[in-house]
Amino acid sequence: MNLIEKYIEVMQNKDYEALAELFSPDGSLTDYCPKGTAQREYHVYGQEAINMFFRNKFTFGRFSISEAQAINDHQAKYVANYGGYLVMAIATIRRTTEDGRIERMSVRPK
Amino acid sequence: MGVYAVTGGSSGIGAKTVEMLKAKGNQVINIDLKGGDICANLATVDGRNDVIRQLHAMAPEGLDGLVCNAGVSGACGNLPLVVSLNYFGVTKLAKGVRDLLIKKGGRVSVTSSNTISQGTGRMDIADLLNNVGDEKMICDIVAGLDQKNVTVGNSIYVATKYALARWVRRVAPYWAARGVRVNAVAPGNVRTAMTGALEGGARAAVNALPIPTKFGGDALMEPDEIAGVITFLVSEESLGMNGNIVFVDGGTDALLNSEKVY
Repeated sequence: MNLIEKYIEVMQNKDYEALAELFSPDGSLTDYCPKGTAQREYHVYGQEAINMFFRNKFTFGRFSISEAQAINDHQAKYVANYGGYLVMAIATIRRTTEDGRIERMSVRPK
Repeated sequence: MGVYAVTGGSSGIGAKTVEMLKAKGNQVINIDLKGGDICANLATVDGRNDVIRQLHAMAPEGLDGLVCNAGVSGACGNLPLVVSLNYFGVTKLAKGVRDLLIKKGGRVSVTSSNTISQGTGRMDIADLLNNVGDEKMICDIVAGLDQKNVTVGNSIYVATKYALARWVRRVAPYWAARGVRVNAVAPGNVRTAMTGALEGGARAAVNALPIPTKFGGDALMEPDEIAGVITFLVSEESLGMNGNIVFVDGGTDALLNSEKVY
């Protein structure tokens, strides 16, 4: 299973700890999709923050993904549910570290 | 007591901060172009790396605090300098000594500006700073702007200070998870060498920003009014504060943006 497939798996499972582990210690995730909803963009920096942020989003934020599919070895598309507002999203691993973790990921509306 | 590093500590807010920290018995390393314990140009990559190397040599046991105060106004006539010093001179330095801060559970205070709430910044530049972070590219972009136009200069200055505040909000949660707290002060117009040199339109802009605590008097705050808050933010007493942008402007932001409670 490659990195993007692991990303899909942990997102579907709402496993925020495993999600954080996919990132390097200083890795970041930027999600521009919420801009079209009542929420603001997500800019989450650092493994610990990714853990804490998605623990909140998965637990209280009614955030989830569905219909996920890997497009290639660094991109996936899915329907992201931001508290009931659905966005067709594409997640892209923009940079990885030498030890194979995500250093920078962005998610944009398709 | 503690070991602190202060950038821009030779004048203005920085000098007052150095004075206050020393008065509390701390060892303070002043980093400035001139008159510092470390003399270096934080607007350059080499200058920053030199400071980072020297701080590791001077404080191998760690830093209790880092005060990033050095900056220039948008009226300086050199917009790449505004970008490189105000934004990268803070973020690259802080990241470069983060290991020293982790060693002692240190605190960081960066100096933003209360102009960030006034909607006059180039938000596209702020977005490039925070989201792309390519110093050369952004400097090339701002080098193509009118370097002498005060309004343009102010828009880039505000962009760097906005990006700085947003950088604090973005890194504070995970730095805190490693024991390092990061906050910012957003001062109003302060009597410094920088504001003292403003003329014409820039001076008019300063005077158009009333300071409620100075009602009926001067439209400039004194450096010690800001330095006192910075000293608190980098002390152990501010234990619960992290990721805050503290407006230290005598109530200007409250006056102009009373409905913004968050």
